[in-house]
Amino acid sequence: MNMMQPAEEIVASPATQKETIERFVETERRRQKKKVLVNRLLAAGFGIFVLLVWGFATEGGFVHRLIIPSPIDTFWAMGRVMSADYFLPNIWVTLQEILWGFAIGLASGVVLGVGVAMFDAVRATIYPYLVALQAPPKIVLAPIFVTWFGFDQPSKIAIAVVMSFFPMFLNTLTGLSAVDQNAVKLMRSLTAGRWKTFRYLLLPNALPIMMAGVKLCWTLAVLGVIVGEFVGASAGIGYLIYAMNFQLDIAGVFALIIILSLFTLVVYQLIEWLESRIIFWKQL
Amino acid sequence: MTDSLIDGQHISKVYATATGPLVALDNVSFNIEEGEFISLVGPSGCGKSTLLSILGGLEEKSDGTLVLAGKHHDSPRPDLGMMLQTSVLFPWRTVRENVRLPGIILKLDKKEQAERCDELLDMVGLNGFGDRYPTELSGGMRQRVALARLLAHNPRVLLMDEPFGALDEFTRETMNVELLRIWEKTGKTVIFVTHNIGEAVFLSDRIFVMTPRPGRLEGIVEVDLPRPRTMEAMRDPRFSELVFTIRRMLGVDH
Ligand SMILES: Nc1ncnc2c1ncn2[C@@H]1O[C@H](COP(=O)(O)OP(=O)(O)OP(=O)(O)O)[C@@H](O)[C@H]1O
Ligand SMILES: [Mg+2]
Repeated sequence: MNMMQPAEEIVASPATQKETIERFVETERRRQKKKVLVNRLLAAGFGIFVLLVWGFATEGGFVHRLIIPSPIDTFWAMGRVMSADYFLPNIWVTLQEILWGFAIGLASGVVLGVGVAMFDAVRATIYPYLVALQAPPKIVLAPIFVTWFGFDQPSKIAIAVVMSFFPMFLNTLTGLSAVDQNAVKLMRSLTAGRWKTFRYLLLPNALPIMMAGVKLCWTLAVLGVIVGEFVGASAGIGYLIYAMNFQLDIAGVFALIIILSLFTLVVYQLIEWLESRIIFWKQL
Repeated sequence: MTDSLIDGQHISKVYATATGPLVALDNVSFNIEEGEFISLVGPSGCGKSTLLSILGGLEEKSDGTLVLAGKHHDSPRPDLGMMLQTSVLFPWRTVRENVRLPGIILKLDKKEQAERCDELLDMVGLNGFGDRYPTELSGGMRQRVALARLLAHNPRVLLMDEPFGALDEFTRETMNVELLRIWEKTGKTVIFVTHNIGEAVFLSDRIFVMTPRPGRLEGIVEVDLPRPRTMEAMRDPRFSELVFTIRRMLGVDH
């Protein structure tokens, strides 16, 4: 009789194991769900708290409504601003400026980053200047660019390009340089030349750092355009904010800031989604 | 002498460093026959990696001559394969794509390479892992992938720089047995760097014993243990005798 026991155990064990694994998966899933829920509740709770404090301070008359509009005023102002006929043309102007500035800043940053990283002659020629130019705040150029390129879109695009170029350039350069020397050795042993080493090793290896650069590039392009419109413009969101602020339409200003933030955030999320697609191996 | 696969004569290597010139290799001469399994042993800094890099055509020698298959040799060649201490797998490529890399770079026939890749993954015991990413594998598995990649373009000479040095004792021994099996099957020439004297004796036909400051070839030890070898070879009294001989050459006992 005793002899039978080991055999029974062998039969029983896979089933037990399966049960254990299923139980593990189930508790793990529940734990994850709970954690996500708690995190969401925390975030939502904090948001509601801020709104309440804001509403209490303004509606309760502790702060003058002209200085800080209440949440409800801001909500109505959003409707007013978005249905006004000046809204679409102005947002279109700003949108174009941001997208052009971002695209040119990103492209030139990548091109020069690759150039400096891959070609010694390019590095020797321009790298010292780029390092010198990288330190001062680019925003000081805004008034000069308005003088040079006028009140219209080109000056805003130029500021956005100058602002967003540097993070893209530096991150491309850093990414291409941050490579395991053993991997370079392996590529060399396989007789890979400059182009193949770039294509199969350096570029994919640089993508995580480059994508971080793209995100910086985006925020700075928006910043550059808005500041440019503050300095001198005849259209655009920055121009509207400036004008409304001057007319003490703070609720309108708040509404525009919220719209601009939402737009920037949506694109930022889009970039992050793209990032998770491009550098999928970081998520593994 | 000239019909050896590899013929190195009076090879020296000097590095320029911040503290002045550093002699990494001093007048090293040797021959290696086709199909031989050679190990380079010696303490850290004796120039094993430097010699292997010179053999791979990755590092310039400062002096001496190096002839491979009848021709002067000083640059990387597709009939050499290199494996390093770390697996150097590209995390954005699956296991299969990593093994296919040499074929892609050397523009080898795609269909043939696809078949060869499957065979090699089979051979190193990673059947079914082709679509995994390197981050999902253990250290030993990654080194197996590196071994498969090493063999992908069917190089004639395998240059291996402490390929199993980062693995635990148990995995390392398994890998050694596997490497021997592959070597016996394919008849390739292997030059294998290791710190581990036992490993060198177990694997090799001949062992190049090197000493540091400056890096010299102290002597060459023939390993006359019978082949094919299994773990049983380590119980052979001759095994411990050889290990002892090499220890003495390295001056470990005084
Ligand atoms: N690129 C380099 N520049 C300057 N010195 C170097 C360079 N590479 C190696 N050396 C020096 O040459 C000597 C031999 O180095 P090598 O890497 O060949 O030793 P090794 O035998 O492989 O050592 P280990 O077992 O630690 O890997 C060392 O003293 C090292 O400091
Ligand atoms: Mg070494």
